Amino acid sequence: MDLVLLLQRIFDALFNSAIYSSLALALVIIFRSTGLLNFAQGEMATFTAYIAFVLLAGPQPRLTGGGLAGLIPGVPFSIPLAIFGAVLCGMAAGAMTERALIRPLGGASDVALVNITIGLLLATNSLMAQWWGTGPRFFPAIFPTGAGQHFTILGARLRYSTVGVWVILLSALILLVLLLRHTKTGLAFRAVSISPSNAELVGVRVGPTLMYGWAMASGFGALAACLSANSVLLEPNMMLRVLVYAFAAATLGGLDSPKGALLGGLIIGLSQTLIPAYVPFIGFELSVLPALVAMVVILLIRPAGLFGTQRIERI
Amino acid sequence: MVDDVFDEVGLKVEDLHASYGAVEVLRGLNFEVAAKGVSVILGANGAGKTTTLRAICNMCSTSGKVTLGEEDITRTGTAEIVRRGVAHVPQGRGTFPELSTMDNLMIGAYTRKDGEVRDDVERWFEIFPRLAERQDQLAGSLSGGEQQMLAVARALMCRPRLLLLDEPSLGLAPLIIEDLFERFGTLNKETGLTMLIVEQNANLALEMADYGYVIESGEITLSGSADQLRNDPAVQEAYLGA
Ligand SMILES: Nc1ncnc2c1ncn2[C@@H]1O[C@H](COP(=O)(O)OP(=O)(O)O)[C@@H](O)[C@H]1O
Ligand SMILES: [Mg+2]
Repeated sequence: MDLVLLLQRIFDALFNSAIYSSLALALVIIFRSTGLLNFAQGEMATFTAYIAFVLLAGPQPRLTGGGLAGLIPGVPFSIPLAIFGAVLCGMAAGAMTERALIRPLGGASDVALVNITIGLLLATNSLMAQWWGTGPRFFPAIFPTGAGQHFTILGARLRYSTVGVWVILLSALILLVLLLRHTKTGLAFRAVSISPSNAELVGVRVGPTLMYGWAMASGFGALAACLSANSVLLEPNMMLRVLVYAFAAATLGGLDSPKGALLGGLIIGLSQTLIPAYVPFIGFELSVLPALVAMVVILLIRPAGLFGTQRIERI
Repeated sequence: MVDDVFDEVGLKVEDLHASYGAVEVLRGLNFEVAAKGVSVILGANGAGKTTTLRAICNMCSTSGKVTLGEEDITRTGTAEIVRRGVAHVPQGRGTFPELSTMDNLMIGAYTRKDGEVRDDVERWFEIFPRLAERQDQLAGSLSGGEQQMLAVARALMCRPRLLLLDEPSLGLAPLIIEDLFERFGTLNKETGLTMLIVEQNANLALEMADYGYVIESGEITLSGSADQLRNDPAVQEAYLGA
């Protein structure tokens, strides 16, 4: 086996892994606090990538379809600033979704709420197609991507952009962990995740706390979309596939564990690249298969996922 | 309307109804808890004790009137009622099994803005040294007795005016129950904290309480001082195992 080639494949897989981990984190944050799987997470993320696009490009001829694009004054931002703005917009949109769509339906069953998020997926998708058209658009890269823009490690090329997305993802994750572990709001968030009714009995306002959760989750989603829009090209369905992999990653990791989401994203990303490369009868077209197999195997061994909470209870 | 039985009323409940769906569980309760006193509500399984405490905290759909001191809290939300000074140790204890002992105490102080939270934690660790030893352990891994201590300490971290306790003796060994009630008594005497305890276990509860009520099928059927209740033949037969 060619070790340099193996290393190269691992390096190449790391970029997608970071994107899957990021969106998986978004899913996990909401699942942990509300027990709800948000199927619209990917589309909400894509929407923020369009916002970054508008912030970058301003309303100019390439943006057909009018709508929102025409309303924003043409002050192009630098790429990092546009992505930052998009993440903030994404957080606000996440918070609004909780407040306007999820909280008023608090009495509804979980299945009904999941259906609501599927509705939101379709609505967001159509809205993007309406406003920005369905054609793919070039989205500039935040990190240099040209030839030669890489580190060389043991003969394999590790692209700057791969290192960059991991630095951003890990920084955001560290920020999240610090927030959860060391702030009062974080503690309240953890308490609400465990038991909303008990949290209310210590004076935590459950609704607003969940709203923060949706905001944080959508922030991670926005990062996933904005960081991958360059390599996959920006279009309304950009995150659909990624969402499926992120679901697999989150499930693998245990659905309620941020650590699990991170590792799940890595496992899915790596198996998606490595297994077709070394198992001859699985072509790249079938690259979703290894991810599925990895998921089933791990869930057979650990039904709660790699890091999922095995609920402890003692009377 | 009820006439005030006590000089100073900590909690007053008038014509309290509560239902789950179409089923009415509380059918017009009237009772009071003396400020700085300990009152107990006795009742068999299913009589409506838990629902009474939940109704006071607006955790189920209710009608009637609930007054805390001078404030009408009938329509106040649960989290806000906690902010007004009501601590509720619900059935099942209300602790967070997947948080550490320390985090459980800290979340108990969520509504506080003063700088003395750490001092209070230290105080509870002195009172319950076993909690201090297990401060980094997950609450779910504590023994039943330790969890009940944690539940009470957690509730008192918000420095309440009124403590509601839902069957604190449930699932605990007799010696531990005795110890726990002794601590409740001390707490009431030393700090003047108003308490409302609901119990099936009438012996210890009546020993500690000043005043008591008996609830049957969602109605108060008997009330009186703890001594009166203890000597009441019906109470003796139904709740004291005489
Ligand atoms: N969530 C609920 N939904 C429907 N009925 C309930 C619910 N909780 C309690 N009940 C019913 O209300 C009655 C009183 O219950 P509860 O207040 O828990 O009694 P206690 O605490 O005295 O044992 C019981 O008949 C019980 O079956
Ligand atoms: Mg009960």
